[in-house]
Amino acid sequence: MSRFEIYSPEGLRLDGRRWNEVRRFECSINTHAHAADGSSYLEQGNNKIITLVKGPKEPSLRSQANSLKATMDVSVNITRFSKFERSAISHKNERRVLEIQTALLRTFEKNIMLHLYPRTQISIQVHILQQDGGMFASLINGITLALIDAGIAMYDYVSGISIGLFDTTPLLDVNTLEENAMSTVTLGVIGKSEKLSLLSVEDKIPLDRLESVLAIGIAGAHRLRDLMDEELRKHAHKRVIKASTK
Amino acid sequence: MSDVISVIKRQSGLKYASIDNDEMENFSSDEDVPMVDIDGKSNGGKRNEAAAGEIVTPGELITEDPIWMRGHGTYFLENSTYSSAAGTISRVNRLLSVIPLKGRYTPETGDHIVGRITDVGNKRWKVDIGGKQHAVLMLGSVNLPGGILRRKSESDELQMRTFLKEGDVLNAEVQSLFQDGSASLHTRSLKYGKLRDGLLIQVPSSLVVRSKNHTHNLPGNVTVLLGVNGFIWLRKTSKMDVARETPSAGPASDISEGPTGAKSLNPTNSVSITRLEEESSWKIYSDKNDPSITPSIRQNISRYANVIKALAFCEIGLTHERIVIGYEASIAYSNIGELIEREVMESIGDDVINIEKMRGNGATE
Amino acid sequence: MAKEIITPVAESKFILDALKENQRLDGRSFDKFRDVDISFGKEYGDATVTLGKTKVQCRVSCSITQPYEDRPFEGLFIISTEMSPMAGPQFENGSNTGDDEVLCSRIIEKAIRRSGALDVEGLCIVAGSKCWAIRADVHVLDCDGGIIDASCLAVICALLHFRKPDVSILGEQVTVHPINEREPVALGILHIPICVTFSFFNPQDVEENIKGAGNNEIAIIDATLKEESLRDGVLTVTLNKNREVVQVSKAGGLPMDALSLMDCCHKAYDITERITDQILALIKEDSQKRNKFAQILSSENAR
Repeated sequence: MSRFEIYSPEGLRLDGRRWNEVRRFECSINTHAHAADGSSYLEQGNNKIITLVKGPKEPSLRSQANSLKATMDVSVNITRFSKFERSAISHKNERRVLEIQTALLRTFEKNIMLHLYPRTQISIQVHILQQDGGMFASLINGITLALIDAGIAMYDYVSGISIGLFDTTPLLDVNTLEENAMSTVTLGVIGKSEKLSLLSVEDKIPLDRLESVLAIGIAGAHRLRDLMDEELRKHAHKRVIKASTK
Repeated sequence: MSDVISVIKRQSGLKYASIDNDEMENFSSDEDVPMVDIDGKSNGGKRNEAAAGEIVTPGELITEDPIWMRGHGTYFLENSTYSSAAGTISRVNRLLSVIPLKGRYTPETGDHIVGRITDVGNKRWKVDIGGKQHAVLMLGSVNLPGGILRRKSESDELQMRTFLKEGDVLNAEVQSLFQDGSASLHTRSLKYGKLRDGLLIQVPSSLVVRSKNHTHNLPGNVTVLLGVNGFIWLRKTSKMDVARETPSAGPASDISEGPTGAKSLNPTNSVSITRLEEESSWKIYSDKNDPSITPSIRQNISRYANVIKALAFCEIGLTHERIVIGYEASIAYSNIGELIEREVMESIGDDVINIEKMRGNGATE
Repeated sequence: MAKEIITPVAESKFILDALKENQRLDGRSFDKFRDVDISFGKEYGDATVTLGKTKVQCRVSCSITQPYEDRPFEGLFIISTEMSPMAGPQFENGSNTGDDEVLCSRIIEKAIRRSGALDVEGLCIVAGSKCWAIRADVHVLDCDGGIIDASCLAVICALLHFRKPDVSILGEQVTVHPINEREPVALGILHIPICVTFSFFNPQDVEENIKGAGNNEIAIIDATLKEESLRDGVLTVTLNKNREVVQVSKAGGLPMDALSLMDCCHKAYDITERITDQILALIKEDSQKRNKFAQILSSENAR
């Protein structure tokens, strides 16, 4: 793929977006009311992710119980059919997946009020049905929604976004084609602040460009937070109306 | 991928002073793209005060007024109070809290609950009550065969499984709460104990409202136990249930008081609770269902179960009256299996609300 | 990282209180990287890096193998990180699947292999059928914090130091010349990535961290094991001398202000510059030492 196509001189990207536009973002919560305490279904561009949160519940092993706070675990299931070509191997024990799980766990550990739920366990399961770039970021958004749906006390939203750097132009919310063609940065932003819980750069980026990438990333993450907030309020509103007819 | 609908991010000036955003500004000013503005109502940080009953989401500023005491679902920094859950604001006197839209059952002392034994341990049973942690039922908090005042002996400890074992369902009352919020139960009343002759359904605990009475005899020879924790037991109405119902209008309705209460029962009642108790003895822990449950009662039980599922689907709070109304509305469907089809559940939900409004008690509760 | 090391409550409080007063147990300032000591073994591709009490050895070896089918022009490069109980009781024998072990080996992998520090195309001998497989084995000999930084240094030093035997190709015939026959060839190293790890501490309440405007979080460079066991968050930045960010990893932990993180990156660059110069000087010194030896040999032969 020639670099020309990624970002045209007219300022258009492969899918017709401009540099500062995020992809279609649709989410719903409480999608699996019977299977889990909190659940969400998220579509960010062509990423499709189901997240289930179970708990706080009695730990499955007594050794997992901590008398001061809840224990957490995250498991990420990248389905074999999630990419264009069906993968021949299971992704379960790949180091990359283990790394993502650990990073997600550590991101949310600091954002959930674990001390409110001693001797319990909160387990998060993520199923990736389809992936199209910026998957890690979408996982963060999915988990945030599911945790809020489960009624688990959190300090604030965490919204994830990935930003690519094309030459000198940062491109917000990259898809697979863009992700493969250039260096990307993934951020996990706390609420409307400029605090980063997660920051991951996996390819070379000029040090002097990093700051502008972070800035646009934070702005994009705030946008996603608003979109999630909007959906959540819509849902909450529906529930409140229903409850008032009781 | 041209069908991707994009949402345009307003580039509202990067907040960093030190950023070289020359080219960025060029972009945003040159290409003035139409902006989709949806964040009209969701910018929580800008409001100073959120009214009671209003919906808040995590991280949202509720108030900057330091007079409020911070309750559940909130956290604070200096004078500002923030929400930590998605829910509605509740202000009781000076106490400010956020009631989450959803969440597991939180036990409170005195709650009538239905639970399932998960573990038999040292002088105690662990009971799954759908809460954050399993509740504890101490051997000393149950009635054992052979009279209420009997002392618990070592042999009782050894044969705990003959009373209650893993998988058994029982109803009980929350006796006390531990420091970490987990509950200790007791079944020291004849209305509590092992459950038989029916089936268990689970609904969100928020749908069952705490009230004086949680056991109701329904038309069709079915009795429902609405556990506050959202566990619901439906069973064939037993003699005990009938006995309990008859004097319920009288002054001596508080059987829960134990043996004295049971004795003061209406003497005109044909079956005395004390006698029942003597008769039951070992039977209160029996695993045998009543052999006389007829197919029609079984059908009624499953009809009620599906009505409750339908009401829960529509997120309608469960009360005695509503279950009965729902049952009556469901008679229109002869096939019980039909009741859990989506459209039917919705229509039953609508029926219940409409009928209740017509009867004029819709606004209460 | 220290899973099984439990610092007494009083001691941890002491360390945190000291940090709040700008003091560290070993008297370093917050942004002082411990002195790096690099020594090379007798043979090519053997480097030992000492960072305070942390000691990491890396041994690079090579063999000839078949390239991957989808990449016929590229050689193989494998980094294996071994953390045995020798380094400390917190590491389990044989299982390298602990959270920290995985993060550590992933970061080294990203910093060196994924960033293309080694020119793998230069490892090709005969396209599609023969290539060099370079293997770097990292052993943590002693651990007092900063394993990632030390391991990354060890790998890059060993790679710079390594010489692979020369080969000559005649049609399909490939001859490998032992190193005592012909001067061995150095690997193609495209850039020198240096990892710098920052540890974050929150001196105040969580609420202040999330909602406050103060940004009073403490960031220290190159924490010792005790500090690591108490930290709230960690950031590993990998940079090279060309002002390129090779890899950044902040896998959750304490939320930090974006500008503070940028500040960390700039601090890391200064350290990177210094250490890169140090490595290059040492490599030069080492090769001169070996050359001198060779010159004496050659002069003897000439006589």
